[in-house]
Amino acid sequence: MTRTLTALGIGLREQVRNRVLVALLVVLPFAFITLAFAVTQDVEMPVRTLVDGETASVMRPMPDVHGVIMTPITSALIAGLAGLFVMRTASVDGRLAVAGYRAREVIAARFGILAAITLLVTGVSVGVMWLDFVPENPLWFAAAMVLLSLIYGMLGILLGAVVDRLAGLWIMLIVPMLDIGLFQDPLFVQSEPDWWMRLLPGYHPVRVLVDAGLTGTVDSAASIGWGLAYLLVVTVAAVVAFYRVSGIHQ
Amino acid sequence: MHRIREGVRLNLQAFVRTPLNLVLAIVLPLVVIEGWGQAMAGLPSMPTVEAIPLDLGRMLGAVFGVAIIAGLLGLVQMIHARSADRRLIQAGFPARTLLATRLLMLTVVAVAVAALNFGVLHVLIDPEAPLVAFAALALAGIVYAFVGALVGAIVPRLFEGSLVVVFLAMMDAFLSGDSPLAADVPDFVEFFPLYHPKAALESAALEGTIATGEFAFVAGYLVVLLALVTTVFTLTMQTSGRWAA
Repeated sequence: MTRTLTALGIGLREQVRNRVLVALLVVLPFAFITLAFAVTQDVEMPVRTLVDGETASVMRPMPDVHGVIMTPITSALIAGLAGLFVMRTASVDGRLAVAGYRAREVIAARFGILAAITLLVTGVSVGVMWLDFVPENPLWFAAAMVLLSLIYGMLGILLGAVVDRLAGLWIMLIVPMLDIGLFQDPLFVQSEPDWWMRLLPGYHPVRVLVDAGLTGTVDSAASIGWGLAYLLVVTVAAVVAFYRVSGIHQ
Repeated sequence: MHRIREGVRLNLQAFVRTPLNLVLAIVLPLVVIEGWGQAMAGLPSMPTVEAIPLDLGRMLGAVFGVAIIAGLLGLVQMIHARSADRRLIQAGFPARTLLATRLLMLTVVAVAVAALNFGVLHVLIDPEAPLVAFAALALAGIVYAFVGALVGAIVPRLFEGSLVVVFLAMMDAFLSGDSPLAADVPDFVEFFPLYHPKAALESAALEGTIATGEFAFVAGYLVVLLALVTTVFTLTMQTSGRWAA
């Protein structure tokens, strides 16, 4: 446990020492989310969500709806990129194993760094959103944000294990934009989503985000469970990928 | 001249050697074209909000897709080759020649990606002035490739650089992209990299006209970007003085 904490502490210190990165992690979400609120038309729009367990269309101000979508895109994107780069530095971790670290200690430390970055970005994103819009159920909203960002963080690690950095960057930019920004956006998809949209990483968390952000009661609690199951699957896959690529098993 | 040609050839060879990158450079924008088009067209019409036509949505998707592929490529190219470039300069290779090979390679790939995407766009929509529309799409790619190269020269770390390029591209797509959601778009959006290429593409594809003003602006934009990239690159690649470390 002490060794894991030591490795985690060193890793975190390394990130914090990188002032440019810390500044970007704070400034970019601030600029993007604030801008999204500032330029969105203030009109009521029909939004598909769950009301009393039934899918219904409710009228909500477009800036609020847009905020509920742009905020998770921001944190999912950054978490995904962070995951990708955690994997890109995995080869260095092999040295810790040579120095006597157990594989699980190295994995816990490295994934802890990703979790810390994810929590920071999620906190900043929700905090910035709070300046313009307060979700109806903040705790559920925050839980879904963390869940979505962690899923994308793990997907980033998986991608980093499978493809090179250019391909990883392309995929990690385009997938969250399409998934959260277009295919899960209740403004664009007014009917029931197609089967393949339900398989995307953003489906369950965004259902909760829309429900918790825009309606008084949370009817999509089960989606948190499905989202957690999704997270579990991608985490296991990411751990296996990290274990194999980093060389800590040798 | 021979050195530049050889440099471009080697850079292109290195890119083509990764088949997955080639496949993604083709496939990802196609997904963006259709996804963007369908999503934008699906927006319910309200008194002050109108869904944009499917074809226009596809065009905007094409501009964004080509731009982001080229932008990230420019970034990765600059950062990936940084230490090798420095060694070459140390060995007497002129920094500007080195940069020229890099930017020429980026231009070739951006035009190739634009050509593939334009082919798909041509199948889905019927542009009034195809050649002009293609030129606009290719310019969108080249502009972002240079933006990526500039960011890569200023912020020579991949995570930080990619964050800058990605967020710039997203803001650009949202503000310059005729989004029906955006209303009070600030005036400075005119200086975003995609604003004028997108306008040129629209006039060529929908009206069949050559928007000379838009093309002239993009040309000026490219000249400024080129000057900036050259300055930053030569400065940061100096083998002595404060940048040498």
